[in-house]
Amino acid sequence: MNHFDEMTALMYLEGQLDHERAQEVSAHAGACGPCRELLRALQSEDLWLRQALTIDEEAIPARLLEPPERASASWGWITALGLSAAGAYTLWTGFVEWQAQAAQAGFTQNNLLTMLFFSGAFWKGWDAMRNLMEFLAAGSLVAVVSWLLRRHWRRLTTVAAVMGVLLFALAAPQRAGAAETKKGDPNFTLPSGEVVHTDLFVVADRTEIDGEIDGDLVVWSREVIVNGHVKGDVLCGAETLRMNGTVDGNMRTFVKSLDITGTVAKNVMTWSGETDLENKGSIGGSLTLGSNDASLAGKIEKDVMAMAHTLDLTGTLGQDATLRADTLNIGSSAEIKGHVKCECKREPVIAPGAKLAGGIERGIQRTIPAETPRYERARFYWHRILLWGVGFVFGLVVLLLIPNFYADATAACKKYAPAAGFGLLFLFATPIAAIIACCTIVGLGVGIATLLLYFIAMYASTIWVSGWLGEALLGPRPGLGPAIGRLALGLFILHVLRILPYVGGWILFVVMFWGFGAMVLAIYKRLRPQLATTPAPAIS
Amino acid sequence: MLGWTFLLRPCGLFPDSRLGGARERAQAGAIRAICNVCEIFGDQAAYQLMERRKTAGEMSAAELAEMLSQVQAGNADAWGDLYRQYAAAIFRFCRRALPTREDAEDATTEVFMKVRQKLGTYDSSRPFTAWLYKVASNHCWDMLRRRRIRQDLETGDLETLPLEHPDPDQLERLQTEHTNKEVRNGLAKLPDRARMALVLRYYADMSYDEIADTLGVRRAFVGVLLLRARHQLRDVLGTGMTGARGAAAESK
Repeated sequence: MNHFDEMTALMYLEGQLDHERAQEVSAHAGACGPCRELLRALQSEDLWLRQALTIDEEAIPARLLEPPERASASWGWITALGLSAAGAYTLWTGFVEWQAQAAQAGFTQNNLLTMLFFSGAFWKGWDAMRNLMEFLAAGSLVAVVSWLLRRHWRRLTTVAAVMGVLLFALAAPQRAGAAETKKGDPNFTLPSGEVVHTDLFVVADRTEIDGEIDGDLVVWSREVIVNGHVKGDVLCGAETLRMNGTVDGNMRTFVKSLDITGTVAKNVMTWSGETDLENKGSIGGSLTLGSNDASLAGKIEKDVMAMAHTLDLTGTLGQDATLRADTLNIGSSAEIKGHVKCECKREPVIAPGAKLAGGIERGIQRTIPAETPRYERARFYWHRILLWGVGFVFGLVVLLLIPNFYADATAACKKYAPAAGFGLLFLFATPIAAIIACCTIVGLGVGIATLLLYFIAMYASTIWVSGWLGEALLGPRPGLGPAIGRLALGLFILHVLRILPYVGGWILFVVMFWGFGAMVLAIYKRLRPQLATTPAPAIS
Repeated sequence: MLGWTFLLRPCGLFPDSRLGGARERAQAGAIRAICNVCEIFGDQAAYQLMERRKTAGEMSAAELAEMLSQVQAGNADAWGDLYRQYAAAIFRFCRRALPTREDAEDATTEVFMKVRQKLGTYDSSRPFTAWLYKVASNHCWDMLRRRRIRQDLETGDLETLPLEHPDPDQLERLQTEHTNKEVRNGLAKLPDRARMALVLRYYADMSYDEIADTLGVRRAFVGVLLLRARHQLRDVLGTGMTGARGAAAESK
């Protein structure tokens, strides 16, 4: 027998050889000095390893001395759950009641989401909405930092911190003031002569307000009729809203049909299928309108900004009007004291008797002022940090949920040419395909879903490139901690690059198609694992 | 310490206690010390009957069975006793299997929560400690797998092994030059799978079948894995004993 190899020697020592082979080895070792030495060396290594592993000088941590009372949950998840609850509670109490009323209000999910967004924003104003976003973003950052630092915190400290944040979040909205909440059974009526001294939240099938409300009225109903007096604002989501009474504040609505015959002292903002401001109706402030068909026969004291399919204007407008409509009819009884800017598909029909004091200007293109970074303001940098935080949290979720895909996509960034080529191709081809899907028999659902995924993928593109950038700078050290560090650093650098004047936008574009391509390559690798080792051909 | 504590009892061939190897094993209830090298040379004491060394407070099979039944019945005191009996060993296991002390602390707690949940599935015909280590090793390996970012070598790399003999003298020198702590530090630097294989085999004393099951590899591959892990450990400890051969294997 020839000398046996190290593997055979180990298997012999480990008792893994069959009897016959073991006998051969034994016989050979008896006659062969080098092989005997090998066996001896491996045997002593075996003992040496066992000794090193078994003998221990390290003390057991104190916290392990007693059994755990219950499953130890991850503080990251607890904090995230707490934050979600706080966010939901904030939405519920501070902005709109939106969830349970969906069915009764007769809204589809899409409408509900739109409603949540628009009514939330327009109800308290964009500032409030932004504050909410900032609160959630800052809270998420705190949660992530807490989670990362949890090793160094004492448990009670962590509990105290989490509970403190939760209590703060829960207490904050309650300061907004008391409110009365009513749930219809199925209908709700505030009788004439009855006064509600606070805000009133109503959820019902049919709601009728004949009495008086000192605060705001927030209502979700199939049908709403306001005959009484609301001293605050009105926020309404309904199929039909008839406003026959008086509102001292603003009115924001998201309805199928809006009919105003009463008085609104301040501004009206509405998104509706049909809007009808009747002769007797009046608005003390301005009107912002998004509607399919709109008829404005009443009186509006200030500006009007309207977008509609068909717009009939026969009432009185105190100031300027900015109108966008497919069809615009200005009746003979109309009186507009300010300037009219209109953009219509068809030639507007203006009756001879209409009084247009400021004249009419056609074909005005609505321009959106270019968003220029305000480098001199601290708020700008705060927002950039928040955006970084949001990106980091998103990346972290991706990293923890699908680490292998993350690693694949990050590694695919190194294939510069294929990633860039596929990225450019898919960046332009995907929306085109989605739009075609929307227009064809494939269906709107598939098209919209594709577009949504497309936007998420575009956002995720920066994550892959950040991972690559971090690795290029910090090196490919294995483990979760270094991976998070690389992600954070890469994202930070990308965010700094993006705010550079002139080139920032181009850098973002390059990052986007590059990352997009890397993701395509990673998906391709998953779908065709047998081809994974073959580099994808570059697109020239 | 739970399980079998191997004893460094000098045998005839290697009277130096460091090298005189006799490792206990439990085989069909009998405890024997086997020194393969003694067996080869037919020297004295090829098989030595050895006493099982008990750690302080280790209990008998009957005591353990009683305790387990009480734990299953919901007895909190019994659970506390069981925990205190085995927590240190499981912590040490986790400490070797996982890269950081904090991970090991968390893992120990989580392992015992799993043990409490799964105690009903324990087959009392098998040693409890073996089952306990199986739960712990599965948990640790899951943890490592979840967080691993492609840091392990692929299987293909592992199958390229040096076939020549290592230099026994250098290997011996390596063993005398490094303390136990240094070996454990070196172990922490190994890739997850290599470290896990060594810990399962040489700390938890698992069989090849159990290691294959835990790590999700073929049984025939376990030996390759162990040998490769030993080579990696030697390299980490900086011996250079595998010389050009080791370097060549790494570069493949």
